[in-house]
Amino acid sequence: MVGMISAPGLFYTPSKVPLVITLVNLGNLHQDDCSRPNNQSSFRVARPPTVFRVYTPKTLIEFNGEDNRPVYLAVRGRVFDVSPGRNFYGPGGPYENFAGRDASRGLAHQSFDEDMLTKDLSAPLDDLKNLDADQLENLKSWEERFLEKYLVVGKLVAEGDDEAPKS
Amino acid sequence: MSDQLLNKLDTVVADILADWNIYSTIVAGLVVTFAIYSVVSAKDPDVHPFLLARQSTSSPIRQSGESATYRSLETPYGFPLRAGLNVKDPGAPKWTAGRKGDLRDIWRTAVHGALNEDGTTSKAQSKIYTVLGKRAVEHSLSQVTQEINVIGHYLQKAEAKTVAVCLTDSVELLASLFAGAFYGFKVILVPHHLPAETLSAHLQAAQADALIAEAGSVDLSVASKDNKQLSQVIWVAKYGNRHMDWHGVPDNVEGVMQVEVWHELVEEHKDLSGMDVPEYDPKEPAPGISTVWPSDSQSGNFIDFQSENLVAAVASLGSTLPRNQRLTSSDLVLSIDSLSRSYPLCLILNALFSNASIALNSVAGEEVDFALATVGVSPTVIVASSRTISDYHDSVMQPKVGLLSSLGRWVQKRSLESGTMPSKNIFSQLARAGPSSELSLDKLRLLCVSHRIDAPASAQLTLKQLTHFRIFTNARIIYALTGPGIAGAIAQTNLFDYRHGDGPSHFGAPLSSTEITLTGVSETAAAVQPEGEIKVSGPAVAGGEAVLVPRVRISKENTVELCT
Repeated sequence: MVGMISAPGLFYTPSKVPLVITLVNLGNLHQDDCSRPNNQSSFRVARPPTVFRVYTPKTLIEFNGEDNRPVYLAVRGRVFDVSPGRNFYGPGGPYENFAGRDASRGLAHQSFDEDMLTKDLSAPLDDLKNLDADQLENLKSWEERFLEKYLVVGKLVAEGDDEAPKS
Repeated sequence: MSDQLLNKLDTVVADILADWNIYSTIVAGLVVTFAIYSVVSAKDPDVHPFLLARQSTSSPIRQSGESATYRSLETPYGFPLRAGLNVKDPGAPKWTAGRKGDLRDIWRTAVHGALNEDGTTSKAQSKIYTVLGKRAVEHSLSQVTQEINVIGHYLQKAEAKTVAVCLTDSVELLASLFAGAFYGFKVILVPHHLPAETLSAHLQAAQADALIAEAGSVDLSVASKDNKQLSQVIWVAKYGNRHMDWHGVPDNVEGVMQVEVWHELVEEHKDLSGMDVPEYDPKEPAPGISTVWPSDSQSGNFIDFQSENLVAAVASLGSTLPRNQRLTSSDLVLSIDSLSRSYPLCLILNALFSNASIALNSVAGEEVDFALATVGVSPTVIVASSRTISDYHDSVMQPKVGLLSSLGRWVQKRSLESGTMPSKNIFSQLARAGPSSELSLDKLRLLCVSHRIDAPASAQLTLKQLTHFRIFTNARIIYALTGPGIAGAIAQTNLFDYRHGDGPSHFGAPLSSTEITLTGVSETAAAVQPEGEIKVSGPAVAGGEAVLVPRVRISKENTVELCT
């Protein structure tokens, strides 16, 4: 529309230039209204979903939060991604011993000591048989909290289990 | 320094004023008009663009070989899917959660009438219309309640447990459905117009002990051959055929079958059965409804919908509509798609639950003439199949576009592109000048189109076709994907998504009563736009979960697309 008017040489004086420029700009302004549904270039790409995996103590231990890796810990066979709570569960945090480990016994005992963990990574999983009622109650409440707050990203099985991925 | 600048400015202004002429005035006038027009005509899009940019939520975790699980924005990951109508019984504490409800609650709500704003009933009942050619017959809900009571009583006394209903879309079909819910028998919706052998096979597969069918449409001697359990037949006679005697039966079923005629039963017993909705105990579950999914094989498969599946679908179809677009008592919903298919059925049930009036058309089906099927009433909402719509577009709409309507269409399209539904004006009149002038769609505001997941690809609607329909009918469109085993729909487009482009349209996001996961996804593609077979689960799915064979893709906007 604008082109049609300016083309026949009506604007022979340079002083009309500002007027025409205003007209052109207004036209453009109307054209690319940023709120149009078709304009979505600025939309953030979603994070790809984590794949649910089967872990063994040996593969889980890599996820201890070092070098900016995610922080995982296992409770009764469920692997939680506790990376959002990196300050607690990650390196340097009060619960750092649990990172990348089966934390069931430690949580039941309310103790963050090393000796709560199963030392031998190839050993069968801690069966938690000798816990008393209070400790089991303790463990249950921890588990519920984790389920509320964190994502279950996998399952922990013992080394050599049928379900364990063959390496 | 500043003096210099001022001097310069002065010269510029003086220059402009010096050679100000008629053209300058015109240009300046244009600038001002355009500026004012832009401000006055600017409208916000109907929906925030971000809601269209990501239409469903995906779960943060997935199984290997599968995609993430996608859900509607209403019920994201970690929240329960919509499972019921949230029916509140009178006298229940105000803040308690409602019941899931069932068909009986839908009918009771419809009969009670729309609620006023203060919660009292307005006593204004909706109406049911039957469209017969160019004429529409009106039925009041109390009248239909009476029929429900008579037929329900009769079949209950005859100890019918499974009743096959083989009718065209009609009040009698609806009445049989609700009679089943109130009087405790299971209803099998068998598509009409089936060959006698197929019908007989269906009756046998369902072990139906009663049959409600159109008078004269079923050959009883064939139907009875393999169906020893069939003991009751109720004929529904059309208005023109009521004077005839329908009690006669073929010799081989004489004495085996009890044959009655619907309108005679109603006439005879109407004084005994009241016009009130029967009392019922909500704790006692209502029986389900079976429908036949038309698969490629002649016979089709039976789908057993529990009452829970249906109410979940009815509720989610209602809640997916934005609040100001939901069905209300001022709506008239016309279904030109057969009620034996679950999407039209659930929408009609939702209309009843929302106290909207409904119109049924006896020719309704998957393949009908859109123009013919919509005469007789002036609906605000139409339910149709993708086949009907695409046929109409190809045969009528496309060829009839003239120069004038192209101009009108262009203007309307600009409005749609900027995200607003064009209002009715001179351009909309122009746009529909040729193509749809014969339609009585002045009040139409919503077109609900469903596509069968296993229907041929030619029936699939393109984005262009949808845009044309929006412009021609001046109505918003929802486009839903239906599948065997899923009550209502798997996924449905956003009402406000007017964007157009090339190729077939997507199907929007899952409904709030279903969630979908793609299986058989290759690991390389799983993260972005996964493609695979579709697994649908949730309260609206018969048996809780269904895996469908056709391949489906999730687009970058998290919408469902059929792979072609």
